[in-house]
Amino acid sequence: MPKIVVDPITRIEGHLRVEAQVDGGRVTKAWSSTTMWRGIELIVRGRDPREIWYFTQRICGV
Amino acid sequence: MASDLRPHIRDEDIAHQLARRGVSRRDFLRFCAVMTATLALPQHYVGRVAAAVAGAKKPVLIWLEFQDCCGNTESLLRANSPGVGEIVLDLLSIEYHETIMAAAGHQSEEARAAAIKEPGYLVVVEGSIPTKDNGVYCTIGGRSALDILQEVGKGAAAIISAGTCSAFGGIPAAAPNPTGAVSVQDVLPNANIINLPGCPMNVVNLTATVVHYLTFGQLPAVDQFRRPLFAYGARIHDNCERRGHFDAGQFVEEWGDEGHRQGWCLYKMGCKGPATFHNCPQAEWNDATSWPIGAGHGCVGCSEPNFWDTMMPAYGRLPNVPGFGAEATADQVGLIIAGAVGGAFALHGIAAAIRAKVNPLKKTETKVEGN
Repeated sequence: MPKIVVDPITRIEGHLRVEAQVDGGRVTKAWSSTTMWRGIELIVRGRDPREIWYFTQRICGV
Repeated sequence: MASDLRPHIRDEDIAHQLARRGVSRRDFLRFCAVMTATLALPQHYVGRVAAAVAGAKKPVLIWLEFQDCCGNTESLLRANSPGVGEIVLDLLSIEYHETIMAAAGHQSEEARAAAIKEPGYLVVVEGSIPTKDNGVYCTIGGRSALDILQEVGKGAAAIISAGTCSAFGGIPAAAPNPTGAVSVQDVLPNANIINLPGCPMNVVNLTATVVHYLTFGQLPAVDQFRRPLFAYGARIHDNCERRGHFDAGQFVEEWGDEGHRQGWCLYKMGCKGPATFHNCPQAEWNDATSWPIGAGHGCVGCSEPNFWDTMMPAYGRLPNVPGFGAEATADQVGLIIAGAVGGAFALHGIAAAIRAKVNPLKKTETKVEGN
């Protein structure tokens, strides 16, 4: 079955990849993956709770 | 740097493009005046800047996003002074920018490949580059950020690192740096790089850097962190609108107290202005309507390397910021200086002691050290 890959998906914030399995002109299965990770979950661990907003606010700048 | 660094260009000059977009000559000259002032050039340079920008061909620009939050792109797209938004975008022929380009998938990757065929283009990088585990923590079109930057960087006339992540590693590089994130200059140490840190960068500084490039054919003068001096040559503290309160010993002691309502100095609330080099007090944000300290919160030091680790605790006071108040007497000032010098040189310390004996004063402290 043919597979379509769109990577990168543009006009969004962040990095996204979509793969779709096509059968007779219909998408039968699809997978999406974000292709960037910074580990902010790990970076904020152990820090002063009053400062965490500085970090988590930077997850998305839009 | 010679004219061979002039970027690859498109045919129509900027003056014609702006006219076509309805940007008036008056708006354009006002823009050039703002840029001349931002670049700290004498006023008579306005004509030269205007002539250079109007006659320039649009440089080809490739904007790469890696471990980013899109905040610098937002800064670019939010430029909304009269006509300036158009001018910023029209100054550049943006051939590749994931967030704003129409193409997607392999078409977008082909656009990038086409744009780098002819060397001499400009590159803006937003976001850090992960190096751990072969760079798997950021891939675009199946290729790692590291791989893409190395390829695109080869033919670049200049690379502008927009924002603290691409300039210094930024938030992804904060301890414990889970992805091995590094800056552009770490990946390409010999490239012609200028850093415009800030979280995010201020678009005024990006525009001014491009205008400088078009006017003089080279990047502006930089400091030891490759930051342009016109924008990062002075501390926030030096030009802060609340500096008078610092000098007068008027500090916010608690959020929402009388001093906070009166707009007093935020130094004791953890403001990092005395240790941060940036032109926020003059350039401001959101079309120069406000800025963090103006809005009542201390500076976090976002334009400094590794500020996510070195400028914390965010609400902790910087130790031992030197300074004497405008309201201190000349005698107090003299004693403080003698004391400081005496600490380093015993001989001068003795001289200071003698002077103090001749003109005895009560032991004084700078007000900033009082808690």
